[in-house]
Amino acid sequence: MIRHGFLFLAAVAAAVDGAPAFAQQPAVSVVAIPPLTTPDTGSKGSQSLGIAWQATQMIVADLRSTSELMPLPPSQKDFYSYPEVTAPTFSKWRAAGAKTLVTGFVQTRADGRLTFACYIYDVDKGRELARKGFVVSGSEWRRAAHKCSGLAYTAATGAPGVFDTRIAYVAESGSGDGKSKRIAIMDSDGFDHKYLTPGDNIVMTPRLSPKAAQVAFVSYASGRPQVRVMDLTDGSAARPLVANDAISFAPRFSPDGSRIVFSMMLGPNSDIYVVGANGGYPQRLTTAPGIDTDPSFSPDGSKIVFESDRSGSPQLYVMDANGSNQRRLTFGGGWYAAPDWSPDGQLIAFTRRGGDGRRIGFIGADGSGEKVLTTGPSDEGPSWAASSRDIVFQRTDALRRNQIYRVSIDGTQPRRIEIPQDGADPDWSGVMD
Amino acid sequence: MRRAIAFLLLAAVANAATAQLPGLRRRAPVPAAPVLSGIDALRADFIMRSGADTVYFGQDNSLLGLPAKTTLTAQAQWLLQHPEVIVRIEGHGDASDTRDHALAMGARRAEEVRSYLVLLGVPAVQLSITSWGKERPGAGRAVTILVR
Repeated sequence: MIRHGFLFLAAVAAAVDGAPAFAQQPAVSVVAIPPLTTPDTGSKGSQSLGIAWQATQMIVADLRSTSELMPLPPSQKDFYSYPEVTAPTFSKWRAAGAKTLVTGFVQTRADGRLTFACYIYDVDKGRELARKGFVVSGSEWRRAAHKCSGLAYTAATGAPGVFDTRIAYVAESGSGDGKSKRIAIMDSDGFDHKYLTPGDNIVMTPRLSPKAAQVAFVSYASGRPQVRVMDLTDGSAARPLVANDAISFAPRFSPDGSRIVFSMMLGPNSDIYVVGANGGYPQRLTTAPGIDTDPSFSPDGSKIVFESDRSGSPQLYVMDANGSNQRRLTFGGGWYAAPDWSPDGQLIAFTRRGGDGRRIGFIGADGSGEKVLTTGPSDEGPSWAASSRDIVFQRTDALRRNQIYRVSIDGTQPRRIEIPQDGADPDWSGVMD
Repeated sequence: MRRAIAFLLLAAVANAATAQLPGLRRRAPVPAAPVLSGIDALRADFIMRSGADTVYFGQDNSLLGLPAKTTLTAQAQWLLQHPEVIVRIEGHGDASDTRDHALAMGARRAEEVRSYLVLLGVPAVQLSITSWGKERPGAGRAVTILVR
């Protein structure tokens, strides 16, 4: 009896202990996405419906990948007619607990292209929040579906959606000193995976221009590490960023895509330079003795955060975009490296190394509110999603194999991004046009 | 009869002389040292006369210790005797560093070695540098001088 009572007390204590942790879970908003419909009939109708059903599942998968939204599972029995696209039955979705409703249709046009339309509603208020239509050809309906997911995400959370974005990374095969490395790029949901370099040279750190039209990366094609730039729209060969034979690395585009800031060794140590994305004469921004590297622009282009060991250990510094007004940002002990400024300008992600390994974290752009997000012990290279709520990074396992992970800034467990091989140096683009 | 036995004995002795005894092998010919030519001979000579082609560093720094300086001094003498030879100084960073910091650290170590060799009188035209960062984790915190 006594024993029974003790067990009961222990159970109550556990429940009380568990309560605060449960309360810290982020509030999740439910979204209803009944299958998209079509006004088409006959064989055209069944083709449109097939695409509409695939698009519905894509939108559900997109929204499920966020930490803020919880889509209801799509069900064929929720199918609605074409007129109901703009006149939905709100009471039904209110009863299902949904706060947001997504409807839409796919129509095959006479020229063979598709009209893809998407409507977002506030279920409680019974009010339209947003709508968007696209005319797309061939397989482009996938991008229209991603745009629709982004529309729903922005309407529900106020933040930009990251569904029509791309991730570049270094695909690795083999191990140890004989790894083969290729620059690869894919949609952020893993589709449309492509290799951009043939793997005959070591390559590293691909960085996409804001709308993923160009990629800058480091190549050993000349025998030493040098930044190269490749145009992704016309498939032309990569060209050297700077016309000299100096070691250069750590490139990043400016927010408008017109300039590239990077590290170069013209003297005994690496300093930060900026140059036009299409060439020109590099302008030197730092002169301190020691290693200055990993520069990243603020989203308004007025400031640059970078890593420097001028104080004796690597720390983060902020300067104006012309190199003036350099000041230290991090004082938390251990060392800080590889910063990336968030697209909303509020946060700076970093890799922090302490006695227990390398972890990913972030700090306010004003130097306050530092938070470590991952447990390590071999994480590095954070890159922000366009939403400023998710970070992609590289994790090295005990066998020295690299993988790409994604973590939300609310501190949920990092998730591995599925890729065909091992992967390093991930970089997440902004939202494409 | 006697002659027949003597003949048999002779035959047996002759046989034994040519036969291999079990468990013993005929001694293999002494392997000739491979004849190195061109770049391989130069590299072998460089390593033999300077003691090593690699110098090592402590964690997170590019300071040359006494063992490194001893090796580099011998290397400088060899390079001064071979003014026609060009070497590439290849720096390596620490595997525990982030990618770009390791690249910068490898480059700084290589630059440190280059400066020391120049200080010892080696013409700068003989020396070029590169950094492998942490791409070659087997190399350690090292700078390797590669005769090219």
